[in-house]
Amino acid sequence: MKTLLPYIRRYQKDAWLATLAVVALVFATLWQPRLLQTVMDAILRNDKTTVWQEGIMLIALALLGIAAGIVNTVYSARVALGVATDLRADLYRKVQTFAYADVEKFSASNLVVRMTNDINQVQQIVMAGFQQVSRIPLLFAGAFILAMMTMPEQWWVLLMMMAIIVIVSLFSFQRMGKYFAQTQQDIENVNTIARENLMGIRVVKSFVQEPNEIKKFSRASDRLTDVTAKIGYLFAILMPVFFLTANLAIVLSVYLVGQSITAHPAYLAAIVSFTSYLMQILFAVINGGFMMTFASRAIISLGRIGAVMNTTPSMTYVPANDDIQVNGDIAFEHVTFTYPGDEKPTLQDVSFSIHSGDMLGIVGATGSGKTTLALLIARLFDPDSGVVKIGGIDVRQLPEKTLRDTIAYVLQRSALFSGTIAGNLKQVQPDATLPQMKWAANVAQAAEFIDRLPQTYNAPVEERSSNFSGGQKQRLTITRGVIADPKILILDDATSALDARSEKLVQEALDRELKKTTTIVIAEKIASILRADKILVLDHGRIVGSGTHHELVRNNAVYQEIYQTQKAREEGLA
Amino acid sequence: MTDLQNAGRYYWHYLKKYWFGFLVTIVLISISTACIVIAPTYLGRAIEELTQYLQLWTNPATRPQDSFGAFHTTLWIYLALYLGDASSIFISSLVLARITAYSTGTMRVGLFRKMQRMQVRYFDAHSDGDILARYTSDLDNIFNALNQALIEIFLSVAQFIGLLIVMFAQNVTMALVTMASTPVALVIAAYVMKKAGTAVNRQQDDIGQLNGYINEQITGQKMIITNGLQQDSVKGFTRYNDRVRSSALSGQIWSGILNPLMQGMSLLNTAIVIFFGSWLALNGSLSTGAALALVVVFVNYAQQYYQPIMSLTSLYGMIQLAITGARRVDEVRNQPDEVNPADGLPLNGIQHDVQIKDVHFSYNPGKEILHGVSITLHKGEMVALVGPTGSGKTTVMNLLNRFYDVDSGAITIDGTDIRRFDLHALRANVGIVLQDPQLFTGTIADNIRYGDPTAAMDRVIDAAQQANIHDFIMSLPQQYETTVSDEQNIFSAGQKQLMSIARTILTNPALLILDEATSNVDTVTEANIQAAMDNVMQGRTSFVIAHRLKTILNADKIVVLKDGTIIEQGNHHELLEENGFYAELYHNQMVFE
Repeated sequence: MKTLLPYIRRYQKDAWLATLAVVALVFATLWQPRLLQTVMDAILRNDKTTVWQEGIMLIALALLGIAAGIVNTVYSARVALGVATDLRADLYRKVQTFAYADVEKFSASNLVVRMTNDINQVQQIVMAGFQQVSRIPLLFAGAFILAMMTMPEQWWVLLMMMAIIVIVSLFSFQRMGKYFAQTQQDIENVNTIARENLMGIRVVKSFVQEPNEIKKFSRASDRLTDVTAKIGYLFAILMPVFFLTANLAIVLSVYLVGQSITAHPAYLAAIVSFTSYLMQILFAVINGGFMMTFASRAIISLGRIGAVMNTTPSMTYVPANDDIQVNGDIAFEHVTFTYPGDEKPTLQDVSFSIHSGDMLGIVGATGSGKTTLALLIARLFDPDSGVVKIGGIDVRQLPEKTLRDTIAYVLQRSALFSGTIAGNLKQVQPDATLPQMKWAANVAQAAEFIDRLPQTYNAPVEERSSNFSGGQKQRLTITRGVIADPKILILDDATSALDARSEKLVQEALDRELKKTTTIVIAEKIASILRADKILVLDHGRIVGSGTHHELVRNNAVYQEIYQTQKAREEGLA
Repeated sequence: MTDLQNAGRYYWHYLKKYWFGFLVTIVLISISTACIVIAPTYLGRAIEELTQYLQLWTNPATRPQDSFGAFHTTLWIYLALYLGDASSIFISSLVLARITAYSTGTMRVGLFRKMQRMQVRYFDAHSDGDILARYTSDLDNIFNALNQALIEIFLSVAQFIGLLIVMFAQNVTMALVTMASTPVALVIAAYVMKKAGTAVNRQQDDIGQLNGYINEQITGQKMIITNGLQQDSVKGFTRYNDRVRSSALSGQIWSGILNPLMQGMSLLNTAIVIFFGSWLALNGSLSTGAALALVVVFVNYAQQYYQPIMSLTSLYGMIQLAITGARRVDEVRNQPDEVNPADGLPLNGIQHDVQIKDVHFSYNPGKEILHGVSITLHKGEMVALVGPTGSGKTTVMNLLNRFYDVDSGAITIDGTDIRRFDLHALRANVGIVLQDPQLFTGTIADNIRYGDPTAAMDRVIDAAQQANIHDFIMSLPQQYETTVSDEQNIFSAGQKQLMSIARTILTNPALLILDEATSNVDTVTEANIQAAMDNVMQGRTSFVIAHRLKTILNADKIVVLKDGTIIEQGNHHELLEENGFYAELYHNQMVFE
């Protein structure tokens, strides 16, 4: 609620209008039986003038009801949409201030769910809130008071009816809650089996396990079916009991009116309005129950949204300062880093340095910390201890813009954003000219296939760059990486889909065209880093070797092991 | 229209066996409707009788003959009618709840059974998410419609008909007055629903685009942060978000306005009925009591009159979804099954050889993938398939245990076409280790004995030892009883691969197909997996699809596929000497001093 209120306040005028319309609507609904009573009374007294007057009133009241319904819907929708879009926008802006660690903490897909499904839930509940929620207590209270005013003697009939309904609801909602939780669990089980069988259909078939899988699935599905049936049975009891209770109350009150008709002849005209109010009370209680289950889901969503909004970005930058200029020197001084939530550090006491314009290769087994090391250079994370320096300055002392302009990071599995090739390049280098784009594409060996596209640099890029092959994607992302002629270029397994010849051409072009750029190459293939000025060998987060290929091949055991698995073995073949 | 037909066929298939239940439901609902529409007349009669009582009582002369007898009888009948309504609704809801739950259950299991019989082709052509959605949202929509819409439709239709009958029986003029506003209401409803349809479509399109944008941007957040593109990203987002703001507003208004409008119409209609009724009462020839009763009864009808129309319009969306859902599930039901020969031959191991003879194959007609491939594999030999992505390597594997069948040519085991063997016997003889080692929820032991659930523990351990994964399993706190599930990613890709190798070892297949693990694991882990694979292949006839040449240097034969044709064949040395495609591939992958 704390998350929601400030947003509703922004649409105060709309909210008040919607609420006012609800009041009018409730008034129209509840006053009609009242007028009906007067009309009936007038018929009894054969009073034509009153009948005419009240008749006109009745029609006017109904028209008021229609108008109020329309006004209420329109303004409720305005509030709901306003709140939802504003909330979504703020959520998105908030996420854009996040450090990478914060994004990881929530996980990207989870954040997407919060910005789509959860916001939608909130929109629905706000809409329902202004359409229904305010109406239910009003209707309930109004109908209750009016019923009491109509036949004060029958207060206990009302109370008895409500007591029965509330007791039955409490009893069955409690059971239902249990069953609903059970259903959730069963649905999950069923879906898990279905999903596993979909993904592993080849395994199932090749091991001829179809009958066993069917048995497994049937068991899970039957459990779900049984619980669903039980919920159905409960509902089957619930609704008739509610209506029967209300109808019994009506019969009882008619009987009571009959018993005292000589004392209160006017009650004859009041029977219909009294029964109408009884029904209104019943509807209010039933709708209230439904609203409650509905609201509980929205409250969970609001909580999830609030959790994002209340996160303070875990990283801050010094203010922008154009005086700070750095070169491509990189130095790690005793850097240790642990991922949030991990026990063991991913990098331990890592120290090295490299000069502007050099090429650094990083090798090691999966999980040895290669990518993490590169992430620290780009300051996606800050070290637990030790210092990462660029151009001799601690990266934590660099303004964000300076840092981002200095480093271009080409990710392992990155893709372009949907749009055009040129659009993607201009994101990085807003004033990029066509010759500049061509230069970058040439360096990345992408020019040859871009030139063959009908729209060349204006060719469309689909979501996940799915209209390009793996090798083309990588060459496009390298193009994007070099377009701004960065001082530091990080290639994180960025050439894995390129064949050896293209990879060599890219490296030669980088050597030739980006002489001053420090290049960091993370690779599985030793061939990718053969030419590096320095190679770091990582093992379980520590640097276990550093030097050129020739040095490492001679004196580093870990490097030798990796090398052995990739080395051409001319001798010793069968 | 065909949608409707398909949906109809689908529901007929699954619901026809519940005909008796439906019959009972329809009878009960008719009874309940009769009770509901007749009941107000007894309320009216009660009032009429009370009025008479009061009139008799007021006059001292008639007071002695006054009695509550008739009034009480009326009340008893009134009460009985509501009891009848409640009990028939209760029983029919019970019956329908049962039908709904169990028929959806049958549909769910039916869908799963069908899936197990279907050709792999379908799974390759559809995304997992799309097929899974048939289990989740589509079956859900079907369930919801059966659960809520079915009884509502029955009730609404019955109520509407019953109401019309009773109203005309009571008073034709008043019945016509009550119905007078119907055309207006229907025109309004049709107009609003049409508007809502287009507005909601536009809204969904815009929301879809917005969600797509959010998804792309947030998944690419690393890229955004490393390039400092946050402002750009917000700018793009705002464009989509603002578009949603305006289109969703009209969507929300149009789809939300029908209900209040109909409620308002109901109010208006009641007002009109009261107005006319009382005018009729005062200017007609009715007695006061009868006039009052008429007003009461018709007010009641006027209030009920719009309910069926309202529930039907509110169900419209739900029914729409259920029709689409049925179509989508039915589409699966109509997919062709795998072809298993009627009297398939048994198969017990390989005696001489496996031959691929001049095989042509295409996934889609007109786009041939394999153009006449022939490979012979002698018992106990290892043959490796190499070639660039898209050359058709994996396709060959797909054909060997009949995930797909050849277009022309044949694959034979000891001279017999594999299509003549019993499908399950064939697959029991062919073991596959896939690139992506899919494990199943359960313990490690369950997963290793997946192909033979009755296997004793010592066989499980033996298989794990051969796959070089036993020591790792024993290092876990719960050892072989450790649970494998997709939520807890405690195993690395390499470890999963080793478990999947153990799983294949346990079934002791005559022919082994290995689709090698690729770039997911580093070269050192790969060497481990390689060692395990070497264990499996020991003394077995095997096909290896190689991505890294390092692993197949010892193969008896290396077949180089390119664009669906065999371009080179021979052992490592021969192929290197040929200095063709294989030699180039080899030089590209290996590090040379």
